[in-house]
Amino acid sequence: MAEDLVLDTAIRDWVLIPLSVVMVLIGILRHFVSKLMRSSQVPDPKIVKEGQVIVRARNLRAGANFIPPKAFRARRVYFSNEENGLLFVPKGQAQNAQAQMFSDPNMAMDMMKKNLSMIIPQTLTFAWVNFFFSGFVAAKIPFPLTQRFRSMLQNGIDLSTVDVSYVSSRSWYFLNLFGLRGLFSLILGEENATDDTQRMMQMSGFGFDPSKILCL
Amino acid sequence: MVTKTEETQLNRLESQVEHGGGGVWEYLCLVRKLKVRRSDKVLKHGLSILNDPKKRSSLGPDEWTLYEQVAVAAMDCQCLDVAKDCINVLHKRFPDSKRVGRLEAMLFEAKGSWEEAEKAYASLLEDNSLDPVIHKRRVALAKAQGNMLMAVECLNKYLNIFMADYDAWRELAEIYISLQMYKQAAFCYEELVLSQPTVPLYHLAYADVLYTLGGLENLQTARKYYSSTIDLTGGKNNRALFGICLCTSAIAQLTKGRNKEDKDSPDLSSLAAAALEKVYKQGASDKLPILTLALKNLRVSS
Repeated sequence: MAEDLVLDTAIRDWVLIPLSVVMVLIGILRHFVSKLMRSSQVPDPKIVKEGQVIVRARNLRAGANFIPPKAFRARRVYFSNEENGLLFVPKGQAQNAQAQMFSDPNMAMDMMKKNLSMIIPQTLTFAWVNFFFSGFVAAKIPFPLTQRFRSMLQNGIDLSTVDVSYVSSRSWYFLNLFGLRGLFSLILGEENATDDTQRMMQMSGFGFDPSKILCL
Repeated sequence: MVTKTEETQLNRLESQVEHGGGGVWEYLCLVRKLKVRRSDKVLKHGLSILNDPKKRSSLGPDEWTLYEQVAVAAMDCQCLDVAKDCINVLHKRFPDSKRVGRLEAMLFEAKGSWEEAEKAYASLLEDNSLDPVIHKRRVALAKAQGNMLMAVECLNKYLNIFMADYDAWRELAEIYISLQMYKQAAFCYEELVLSQPTVPLYHLAYADVLYTLGGLENLQTARKYYSSTIDLTGGKNNRALFGICLCTSAIAQLTKGRNKEDKDSPDLSSLAAAALEKVYKQGASDKLPILTLALKNLRVSS
């Protein structure tokens, strides 16, 4: 435990650096691919109008005390009368969001494109890393860490005696995956950085834990 | 809305740029982001970048954004040749772009050839009926021609879809006032009060419209809104103070002879009058006699 492990310089030259470079290149590639596949969607007037109606109705509800009662009543009728009120939806006609999503092929297509551009390269790189570089220590970070970081830094090594400051190659892959956002925003411009982490968090419902992703 | 910190930053950058301290591009970006109208500065400094091939190419793809910004600024300053050059460059680069089409239509507008501009906007709307900018330009076009009814019609059409756009409501309210259609203007101001209940200016404008409409009920409501303006400004709004005095005297005239049901009105107006007198004493003591005379004529200063 107290003895230092000696890492081969070949590991640095053939694992650590290539892995990082590949991750950066894949990120850039994916940015351009998703740019190519992005379809400019024409907004539907009905949906735009609906959103605006809702904003206005919300303002009405919030500020109802600020206008005279007569004016409020007039607006309420305008929004919610049963003949042609803007917010009135006849019973049984309300579409739920799920059904709407499937009825609109464009929407499903868009989502699929987004997911494809994210999942395919990720699975491929993960498989690649797993196949070539699994199970050995690739780097050492220059400061000690507590045991809790073991699952984060030493994924793929099942040795409890190795000091936590050693990073396994698979963990290096994950560190790169989540840590390169800043670099991408430098290379590709502020807004269009590939926001992998965010999407990932959305998918896995905010609670994000690298070891969980591994179990996929 | 431009916040205070953003404004100070903008002014700092502007003075820096004015004195040749660099940061021109940052300044132009900030102007674009905050959507402020400083066309003369944008034109001057934007052109200095565009005329320098080295600086221009260092912008990369942002170069085209700058061309657009400078073109709009140039049209605002009536430098139509410059605008035309910019638009031509953009047209060469993006032959089928709607955005460039919009600029071309705006150039027609700036030249004053209304019909061609109208035609161009109409054809652009056919392709994309949901472009808010084009809708707004059409309103501006109608206004520039002095055709207020047309402007109202266009604005209504726009607000029918984008009914949460409160700047448009405000514009509509002002047009209605210029047409003396106060009831409609009152409706627009109600919308504005709903959208931003804490902005005293909307309360004040609404009260003005109600006072202009007249009638006992409207006057009483107007007094309430003048009061809320005073409340929101912390008593610093002289117009609202005067409004309260005027409302009170108008109400008193209307209810003359009838038994007085509002008890609070003499109190409110004398308070407002006292506040006005105090303000005048501090700020313009030589005008104080005029004020006292005016208030006496309104029979509110007891």
